[in-house]
Formats: sequence, C-alpha cells, structure tokens
Amino acid sequence: MSIFQSLNITASALTAQRLRMDVISSNMANVDTTRARLVNGRWEPYRRKLVVMEPRQEGFATYLQAAMDRPDSVGSGVKVTKIVEDPSPFKLVYDPSHPDAGPDGYVRLPNVDPLKEMVDLIGATRSYEANVTVFNASKGMLMKALEIGK
Amino acid sequence: MSLFSHTIRMLEQGLDYASLRQKVIANNIANVDTPNYKARDVQFRTELDRAIGSFEAKRTNPKHLPFLHTTDQKFFVTTRGNLVYNHNGNNVDIDQEMSNLAENQIYYNALVEQLNGKLTELKTVIKGGK
Repeated sequence: MSIFQSLNITASALTAQRLRMDVISSNMANVDTTRARLVNGRWEPYRRKLVVMEPRQEGFATYLQAAMDRPDSVGSGVKVTKIVEDPSPFKLVYDPSHPDAGPDGYVRLPNVDPLKEMVDLIGATRSYEANVTVFNASKGMLMKALEIGK
Repeated sequence: MSLFSHTIRMLEQGLDYASLRQKVIANNIANVDTPNYKARDVQFRTELDRAIGSFEAKRTNPKHLPFLHTTDQKFFVTTRGNLVYNHNGNNVDIDQEMSNLAENQIYYNALVEQLNGKLTELKTVIKGGK
C-alpha cells in the first residue's frame, strides 16, 4: 500500500470516464451510419456501443487479506472490462431513395438515440469532474504531509 | 518519561486513519458509475477493542474464533450495504462522498497543524526557550 494509492485509484477512474466519453463520441459520430459492417452481402447499420465497468482489485494481496482477517479491503479503483454492443433493434425509416433502402423502401438506421447519448455524456463529465476534485484533495493532503516537522 | 509523548502517537494514528479514509473515499467516487458496487467505510477499532478486550469468549471448541483480534490494525474497512440508491445496484451517494472528502481533508490538515505545533513546542524546550 503506497502513499500514492489514492492518486492511482482516481487516475483509473479518470481513464475509465475518458474511455466512456470516447465511446459516446463514437456513437454520436455514427448516428446516421448505415454501412458499418457487411453481413451476407448486405450492409448492417452501426450498433450503439456501451462500456462495462468493474471495480479493480489489487490481486493476490487483496485475496490473502480477505481469506485471513479483514473481509473488506480498500480496493484500487475502477476498470473498463469490455465494450459491448446494444442489441436493441435498428430504427426503420421509410426512404425509398436512400441507397441502402430495402426492397420495401425502408432504411435501417443505427440504434443510437442522441438524447440517451447526451445524458450519458453529462454523467461522464460530472463523474470526471468529481474525480478531479478527489485528485486535488489527495494531492493537497500529500503536500501537507511534507510540511510535518518544518 | 519519553521525549515524544503519547500525543504524537495519537496524532500519528489519526493521520493513518485519515489517509486510509481518503483512499476509501477515492475508491467510492471512482466507482460511482460501476454497477453493483457497494460503498465502503472506515471504522476505528479502538473503541470496539476497549469494549470487548477485557473478557474472553467461552470456547467449547478450539476451532471457535476468539473475541480478541491479534492484529494491531487500528481500523478496518466495512461495506455500506444497507441502502440502494441506483437502479444498477450501486449505492454510492456522491453528495455524501464529496462532503466526506472535504471533511477528511480538513481533519488531516488539522492533525498536521497539531503535530507541527507539538514539534515546535519540543524544539522550544530543547533550545531552552531561546
């Protein structure tokens, strides 16, 4: 357990929130992309992507402590384990002039809802800001510790 | 009588507690969007030890755990599992965590000030008031 552990914990959260923002940017950028992937000779629209977050554990030391005496440990931040695709159905829009329209005249558009993305974006921004505050607080405490005995 | 009195050891313990608490708060805020994460807290063990330290549990089997903790860990981390605020099973209350953070920072700074005061006091004594 090092003195910089709290900074490392916060840094992992900042990384995770930034990745979340990158994924949101990708979703927003591809809100009208109808040719993301070729499946059986037919173009599939872009699928909305989501991040999966998990608490990060310290590894062996944590499990040893859990097995011995202390049931809980401090933990060491957060990590993004994977990026998954939203399985919800594509939006169908009637537009026979579109190059990717089917024989019935309907175009399949990505299952990205800009409203949802904006809400997620605000959430990610706020979490990022909160973590920056924690980072500054931890830094202030470490700087204060250097004053001991001066 | 020792030069470094009991006060310094007490302050040291307080600083240890505050820095552990800082880590726990940082971890809670880091996991504010993690599904099924349960917020953690730090408790002082001294009060508990004083309360139960004077007597020994009656053990009918040697495999039973004794009341006394042999470790000299002064505080321990607990999970706050009583309330669920979010639909995703996460119970980190961001407002509470942010106020804990501010409180902990002030507490830590106050302890450092106290410790510095104590050391200055000793310095004065060593120099004979000069």
